Amino acid sequence: MTAASSEARAARPTLPPELIRLLLRLAAVLIVGVALSLLSGAFLTVVNLVNVLRQAALLFFMSSGLTLVVITAGLDLSVGATIGLAACIAGTAIKSTGDPWIGVAAALAVGAAVGLLNGMMVSLLRIPSFIATYGMLWVLQGVTYTFMAGATVYGFPHGFRELGNGYFFGMPIPVLVMAALLVVGTLFAQRSIWGQQITMIGANPTAARLSGVPVRRRLILVYTLSGLAAGFASLVFLARLNSAEADIGGSLTLPAIAAVLIGGTSLFGGVGTLTGTFVGTLLLTLVLNGMNLLHVEGNWQPLVTGVIIVAAVWLDLRGSRARS
Amino acid sequence: MIATETTTTPEAPLAPPKLELRGISKSFPGVRALSDVSFAIWPGETHMLLGENGAGKSTLMKVLCGAVAADAGEVLYEGRPTVIASPADARQLGIAVIFQEFSLVPHLDIAHNIYLGRAPRGRTPGSIDHKRLFADARRVLDMIGFDIDPRESVHRLGVAQQQMVEIAKALSQDARILVMDEPTAALSDRESERLFAMMARLKADGVAIVYISHRMAEVFALGDRITVLRDGKKVRSLLPKEATPDELVRLMVGRTVDMTYPRRFRAPGETMLEVRGLAAANGVANVDITVREGEIVGLCGLVGSGRTEVARAIFGADRVTSGEVRVFGRVHPGSPDHSAKLGMALIPESRKTEGLALIRTVGDNLLLAGLPSLFPSGFMRAGFGRTTAHEIVKRLGIAAASLQQQVGTLSGGNQQKVVIGKWLAAKARLFIFDEPTRGIDIGAKAQIFALIDELVAAGAGVLMISSEQAEIVHVCDRAYVMRGKRIVGELGRAELSEENIVRLGMHQ
Amino acid sequence: MTALALKRPMRAPGLLAMLAIMLVGFSIATHDFATPGNALNVLLQSSVLLLIALPMTFVILTEGLDLSIGAVLSLCSVALAQTALATGSFAATLAVALAVGTAAGVLNGGLVAYLRIPPFVATLGTLGVAQSLALIVTGGQSVVGLPNSVLFVYGGSILGIRTPILLVAAAYALMHALLYRTRFGSYVFALGGNREALTLAGVPWRRMLLAVYALAGAWAGVAGLLLASRLNAGHPTAGIGMEFDAIAAVALGGTSFERGNGWLPGTLIGALTIGILRNGLNLLAVSSALQVSCIGLLVILAFTLEAFRTQTP
Repeated sequence: MTAASSEARAARPTLPPELIRLLLRLAAVLIVGVALSLLSGAFLTVVNLVNVLRQAALLFFMSSGLTLVVITAGLDLSVGATIGLAACIAGTAIKSTGDPWIGVAAALAVGAAVGLLNGMMVSLLRIPSFIATYGMLWVLQGVTYTFMAGATVYGFPHGFRELGNGYFFGMPIPVLVMAALLVVGTLFAQRSIWGQQITMIGANPTAARLSGVPVRRRLILVYTLSGLAAGFASLVFLARLNSAEADIGGSLTLPAIAAVLIGGTSLFGGVGTLTGTFVGTLLLTLVLNGMNLLHVEGNWQPLVTGVIIVAAVWLDLRGSRARS
Repeated sequence: MIATETTTTPEAPLAPPKLELRGISKSFPGVRALSDVSFAIWPGETHMLLGENGAGKSTLMKVLCGAVAADAGEVLYEGRPTVIASPADARQLGIAVIFQEFSLVPHLDIAHNIYLGRAPRGRTPGSIDHKRLFADARRVLDMIGFDIDPRESVHRLGVAQQQMVEIAKALSQDARILVMDEPTAALSDRESERLFAMMARLKADGVAIVYISHRMAEVFALGDRITVLRDGKKVRSLLPKEATPDELVRLMVGRTVDMTYPRRFRAPGETMLEVRGLAAANGVANVDITVREGEIVGLCGLVGSGRTEVARAIFGADRVTSGEVRVFGRVHPGSPDHSAKLGMALIPESRKTEGLALIRTVGDNLLLAGLPSLFPSGFMRAGFGRTTAHEIVKRLGIAAASLQQQVGTLSGGNQQKVVIGKWLAAKARLFIFDEPTRGIDIGAKAQIFALIDELVAAGAGVLMISSEQAEIVHVCDRAYVMRGKRIVGELGRAELSEENIVRLGMHQ
Repeated sequence: MTALALKRPMRAPGLLAMLAIMLVGFSIATHDFATPGNALNVLLQSSVLLLIALPMTFVILTEGLDLSIGAVLSLCSVALAQTALATGSFAATLAVALAVGTAAGVLNGGLVAYLRIPPFVATLGTLGVAQSLALIVTGGQSVVGLPNSVLFVYGGSILGIRTPILLVAAAYALMHALLYRTRFGSYVFALGGNREALTLAGVPWRRMLLAVYALAGAWAGVAGLLLASRLNAGHPTAGIGMEFDAIAAVALGGTSFERGNGWLPGTLIGALTIGILRNGLNLLAVSSALQVSCIGLLVILAFTLEAFRTQTP
């Protein structure tokens, strides 16, 4: 085929498969939404929808960093525990100094440090990511429980709590932050050369390395960003709950992973977008919110999340086998 | 079938062959691996299979053992038509194959490996009668004179010993047809002698042996019959007494229909790559190589002679332990990202596993190596990226529907062009090609060589690895020949001939 | 015993050193550590862990992982406790424990072997399912007041030897024989080492892989019984995190996560090491959360050493 005809073909408007997948997921969000509004009168209310968005925002903060990790064909099982430690340290710092900014700095520093360690274990020592971050999970949890010694810190300054509860032009602040993070994150992941290199590392680390991509440095960056995102998420949790105790992050990892995977990011690397993860968090939050509204016990949550994770990976596997 | 040589089988014994392949053809996407190959083996004979890399020997073996299904042709077992559709079918017929890649379980002992899935049962259901297992293993190991404790774990064995276990495994299945792929490649002389003695015993028992070798001495010492393959076709079957080593070399390399590649030779310019006393963790040592502007320098030798390892060490992909690599006069710190920054490019041997991110698009792959130099701000400008990629698509004639097409769906030749193209986008000037034409069709080959010629005409320097001596001879200014992880000779343009390369590179 | 197990030199040279340092350190630091009574304690406390670390070794030998085993253990413990309360029959109790565990294992194995879902994802999913079910059937409450027959499993003794110790000894003997003396055992090594070899040998490897996960589930059932007996209750979250101790025991014992390279006696030593560490830290009044941190560090250390060993030839 000549180059001219290849251009001619390119000009024909066909939707790229990634966009189609995203639209399918948006359709799923719509279907769940319609179903819920039929099933429960409480669903289609402004209060509830704003609430859904706010919950989705909390999940998205964690899932955003995790998305990058999963794009590199890795996994970070320590995000929940990172949130726990960062929230407890930040909460304690804010209580003892009265200065929210110290808390902010502490949470971000804890998150980044944990991520850096994860990244070094994965890239320099080549420990499989799920083992390294799983070990990290338990280390962090122990440190957090010891640090808190069963205590709860609560009651933070009003200004800080705005981060979780405040409104700006009628929108909850976390939702606005989520929108900003989505834009900045997408810019980084889709438009910066580092983001592109990270995607290509996930698609084929050997080819990336042999094409001059500094794979180790990029992997360390990715895990550090995941830790940083968890650190930031901890601040929003802290502000929202107005308290911190040791088990704050424990149940968050599974939903965060689920949101990434149903957002279309492939566990096998090289495919994934933050917009997808955003839709994934919406979908998962809707499902969990709907369960809530329909008075399904909270105990069903791990089951639903677990099934969603396995189903998402299975669909991804089937899709990629069908393509090849 | 090519018309230039006879294809008759000389002096066929009166007994019917143990196994006969008739008119076997097999194509893989983009390449015709076997075309109309006929081949027969008789009990008690060793049939030597000769051919250059890529001549179709391994595909033929895979057809024999049921790992690959032929597109056309028939198989006769003791004169009766039969079908080998799976490894189980092959085993049923008594065909045992010893591949170069081992089918051993590393952390099991020798005896368990030999009898994997067939271990003698003990009294308790599911249990293994270890006494018998080890005794049986001992007996098989004794048959090949391999003096080792069958309780030894396989991962502790050297390559040669693992080879012996593979052979023992094949023998334990009462193989009547034994296929061996360069079994002595990893063996010492003494071990080889033992293997030959064992083969003699097996032959006396009426076992038919197919033996692939690159060693001329073995061909004449062991062979009862010789078949030469070239480019997926059988060139000729003959008896050892009818042939001389020179004649066999000529049959292996000789080309009647030849591809000539246009090449504009010119006086080389300044030195671009200078390698002195290079040794690397991957085993190569004492490597001296120079590549100058406007030159195509060949790096040849048999598969496994260390060519790829040299390329990887120069590019910084494998750790250099001593020696020096200078690129454009500067000492190269030794990592792929530095190489890329210095303007060096590696087009690796396996484009699917090392060259391309198959699930990503043509555009993504074309821009991968050039990201830092094309977008110094750190952010990609979509329009500029598209224009750059389109220019390369046009320049290389890459047949892709659009930049959005998945690279994995392109043909082999077009995939290779994308690998080359990504380094054009990165404005590389020093290229290392590792088997640039493997598995792509003749037309695409010519295009790739035209492109390489164009590159050097524009002032690039090229180091090119190829297993096809004809390519080296036609295209290169000079060539280094490797054997056993060392460079054993350098051939100037005047001495560059297939015969010389084969003679230098082959074990004598 | 075959050459396989015995002729292997100590696979984790650091492990014995670590064990020795711990023994000496705890003996010096506390009065109560180096006593016969405490030695028995260590054994008793490690018994549940050992029961799941043994099959976890099998799973890891296949280049797999079972993250669900702790949650499955919890689910089994509540299911069997409810059965015991309802029927009072020990046989029924044991049967339910085994059935629930095996079912979870078959689910894992099916996902891994037939749907080819990566093991850690498949078992992460099962973890969620088992955790939910355990909470749902109990409403989050412990199931208390078990019959004596169940309590005997942890509290009893036969011929003067405590039953958990007998149970663990029997479990080890059984698993050792299975791994080293049967065809199935050699398939376990091959599942991780070279699946191609199994295909060439005509062994249905998917079925074998499924069996490995099912086996892990069944042992989680037995471990659930032992734990319920020890706590005198079926508790829906009692087993959470126990998979990590099991993975740690396997890793410390020198079983690699790649290529079917492992050693069952090492797991025994690894589990005892963790038992001793926890016991010693207990005596030093270190919180249980920090104990888990120490185990986490130990595992990361083990992997780091392994990384250095394999990367420097």
